[in-house]
Amino acid sequence: MLLAVLFANSEGNILVERFNGVPAEERLHWRSFLVKLGAENLKGAKNEELLVACHKSVYIVYTVLGDVSIYVVGKDEYDELALSEVIFVITSAVKDVCGKPPTERVFLDKYGKICLCLDEIVWKGYLENTDKERIKRLIRLKPPVDF
Amino acid sequence: MAQPFAKKDDDRDEEAEYSPFLGIEKGAVLQEARVFHDPQLDPRRCSQVITKLLYLLNQGETFTKVEATEVFFAVTKLFQSRDIGLRRMVYLMIKEISPSSDEVIMVTSSLMKDMTSRTDVYRANAIRVLCQITDGTLLGQIERYLKQAIVDKNPVVASAALVSGIHILQTNPEIVKRWSNEVQEAVQSRAALVQFHALALLHQIRQNDRLAVSKLVTSLTRGTVRSPLAQCLLVRYASQVIRESANNFQTGERPFYDYLESCLRHKSEMVILEAARAITELSGVTNRELTPAITVLQLFLSSSKPVLRFAAVRTLNKVAMTHPMAVTNCNIDMESLISDQNRSIATLAITTLLKTGNESSVDRLMKQITNFMSDIADEFKIVVVEAIRSLCIKFPLKYRSLMNFLSNILREEGGFEYKKAIVDSIVILIRDIQEAKEIGLLHLCEFIEDCEFTYLSTQILHFLGIEGPKTADPSKFIRYIYNRVHLENATVRACAVTTLAKFGATVDSLKPRIIVLLRRCLFDSDDEVRDRATLYLNTLGADGSVAETDNDVKEFLFDSLDIPLVNLETSLRNYEPSDQPFDINSVPKEIKAQPLAEKKAPGKKPIGLGAPPTAPSAAVDAYDKLLSSIPEFASYGKLFKSSAPVELTEAETEYAVNVVKHIFDHHVLFQYNCTNTIPEQLLENVTVVVDASEAEEFSEVASKPLKSLPYDSPGQTFVAFEKTDGVPAVGKFSNVLKFIVKEVDPTTGEAEEDGVEDEYQLEDLEVVAADYMQKVGVSNFRNAWESMDPEGERVDEYGLGSRESLAEAVNAVVNLLGMQPCEGTEAVPSNSRSHTCLLSGVFIGNVKVLVRLSFGISGQNEVAMKLAVRSEDENVSNTIHEIVASG
Repeated sequence: MLLAVLFANSEGNILVERFNGVPAEERLHWRSFLVKLGAENLKGAKNEELLVACHKSVYIVYTVLGDVSIYVVGKDEYDELALSEVIFVITSAVKDVCGKPPTERVFLDKYGKICLCLDEIVWKGYLENTDKERIKRLIRLKPPVDF
Repeated sequence: MAQPFAKKDDDRDEEAEYSPFLGIEKGAVLQEARVFHDPQLDPRRCSQVITKLLYLLNQGETFTKVEATEVFFAVTKLFQSRDIGLRRMVYLMIKEISPSSDEVIMVTSSLMKDMTSRTDVYRANAIRVLCQITDGTLLGQIERYLKQAIVDKNPVVASAALVSGIHILQTNPEIVKRWSNEVQEAVQSRAALVQFHALALLHQIRQNDRLAVSKLVTSLTRGTVRSPLAQCLLVRYASQVIRESANNFQTGERPFYDYLESCLRHKSEMVILEAARAITELSGVTNRELTPAITVLQLFLSSSKPVLRFAAVRTLNKVAMTHPMAVTNCNIDMESLISDQNRSIATLAITTLLKTGNESSVDRLMKQITNFMSDIADEFKIVVVEAIRSLCIKFPLKYRSLMNFLSNILREEGGFEYKKAIVDSIVILIRDIQEAKEIGLLHLCEFIEDCEFTYLSTQILHFLGIEGPKTADPSKFIRYIYNRVHLENATVRACAVTTLAKFGATVDSLKPRIIVLLRRCLFDSDDEVRDRATLYLNTLGADGSVAETDNDVKEFLFDSLDIPLVNLETSLRNYEPSDQPFDINSVPKEIKAQPLAEKKAPGKKPIGLGAPPTAPSAAVDAYDKLLSSIPEFASYGKLFKSSAPVELTEAETEYAVNVVKHIFDHHVLFQYNCTNTIPEQLLENVTVVVDASEAEEFSEVASKPLKSLPYDSPGQTFVAFEKTDGVPAVGKFSNVLKFIVKEVDPTTGEAEEDGVEDEYQLEDLEVVAADYMQKVGVSNFRNAWESMDPEGERVDEYGLGSRESLAEAVNAVVNLLGMQPCEGTEAVPSNSRSHTCLLSGVFIGNVKVLVRLSFGISGQNEVAMKLAVRSEDENVSNTIHEIVASG
């Protein structure tokens, strides 16, 4: 299960958070844990350089893209390898929507589209779509071209 | 890091970088949502409002029930718009609000319409929304469409239906199970993602049907798998099939191993790692099977991608627990990971290295770990400290660098658990490695100079009192101990006073100076400290009076009190102040029946600051004193061993009896601890009649009855046997408790004069070979083994027959011999097919014995064992073989 996808700005403010199967009372803990993890490790990281951690039986893969840091959390079959696949799809979709690694402003300008992308990529804790071209069409309700 | 939870509404940069959501407020956005009701919908504006609502929701904002209902009804109006972008937003918004079941009805018709739409993407989205918001009842109505969707030629529609299926399976499994045929068809789809989702769903549907899963895996490993994701799933399912069929293949090739091995050459890294991991986790994996997996994992250790390095080192860390030798080839690559920026990777690398490292690499390793320790959290540090402790026991010659490392980290910041782990480790090293004693004690002394934990300070002071006086120059510890008397709280001060007294009693040259120091403690503000100082000054003879003899003093300070504390407490409570001083000799020495008997309480391993395992336990000392004070048994000589109490009655019976077996050189003495649990009875002349007809090598020589056994006041009766010399005589004894029972008047507590003879059947008791063996460990088995004469070694092989597991066989032999397993070799890794166990002990006659057991288990669970014995006496070595042969 993909437990969480979280976007934060460079100061650690939450931009998007989506939890799946995480009890409401634990969300705050996860939020602060992830932001702290990023603050400690993402400084100086290159765009899309993947970082990895594990906390109890849960895996975390995170990265930075422009002004935005992105975290994905998973357990069981969503181990560090599967998560790196997920985060790759997310970063390519975000870059595609924003046209480049986004500043915070650009990210917020494209907020609606990014939400739609996420909706296509992760659905209730499962990876659904992985191809950015297809995602690009799907968020405009256009059928994929590759079938 | 600024406030992590603050919303983005207080944007600090007022210029071009201002946020489009600046000043966003829930109430205002809900007001804006009224545009959804406009007869002339403005799609652009509506999309903007939905985005704002999403922004609020994505930041953890919640809507009240009323608000959510309002928004939901408003959003449903937007189905009227034909704008595609807006429609996509509407789908998302409905999912985000997740309306309650009575509201869902509002949108079902619109969604059902979309579900049968000719536009593929409408269908896909409608499926996802419907599946998220509906309950079981509606599901029946749309099931037909979902089944069709699974085999839809558009992969987006098929995937949407399949992933919906995965979710619905959790709540309505019986419905999804009906889709098997369609899902099976989808597994063959040419679209990569459809195949991936279909495979996941099909496996979940059939997960309880082993045969079906096996068939699925067989067909797919031969067919085409189109995406790395699906390939990973297949690898997992294949290893599951291998695991579950482990009992069915006994000989020959392991099923699907070739498939796993071929995945090691897959072009996707994800698949390679998954396959390598699956191979390392195979039960009973052989070195030949393991090698290719380890090779690819080694390559990943130097990958530029942290995720791959992490995955590889995590897998190798697990392998190191069961097959440390297999991982040693990767040590060099692993060492470079210690400096990895990612601490999770570095910690995993270090703990792996500590498990696999060899003697020559210890120093280098320690240097690298030192830099890294300050960066990690306490829980990681404890793992590292424990790994270092076992490393030091493995390589005792390296104690210097390991001890230095431990003392350095002891000085740094850390919580109680972490500090305790370090102190425990140092204590174990001091105890097990003679050369490390002095330096270790000094490190502990330095630590207590600045120790914030009272518990640790007192434990260390106690330990210093025992070990310090035995060193070459005990005087150097005094300063550290006396400093405590000035600087610490009362608990630590009192403990320091006791430690000083121990030095004074043991080291004559220090005694006068210790007495000076103790005198200063007489002015302490705390009662206990002053009392102790007074007491010790008297015992040491400071007041010029005739001091007690040295032996008395030492016995008082170092030996455990030979009377049970419970008895002492009771006597003290009963003592009424009078001219007659309290006499400690009046306290009964009888040991109250212990509620925890041999079969119920497996002994805990002593660790850390507890009594050293090599020393005879305090209980044996107490028994020795008790028995030698009974004239009938005083001539039996030195007590060799006393067993733990063995219960001879069920719990909560009228009379509770347990027995302790005392072993002497020529005698065996049974001590029956009896308790009378009936308040209305007094038992007199209590004896145990022992029938030794099944113990031919024993003959009864004496017995000591118990005169009186009142209610709830335990007493002992003894029976002694002489045994044949030279052989560890074994046998079975049946026991009957005989006594005279007298009625007791509960009001007056007085017993009637006349009693009735009665008896009570007890359970049988066995004397086994293990009773003649003391569990005495050695710190370095190899050294001990090599120092014994190899000429006297006796080796033989035994078939142990069919066993449940290798661990069970090892356990049985260890228990049979009653020896101390060394270096943790009693633990058998779960899937190993062979195992070596090292045992040490002292056999009756005080003969040191070492045993090396090599086990192997065949496919049919037949266990074979090679037993090699070395001892100081060849006869004893032969005896050990006889014990095993007859066991």
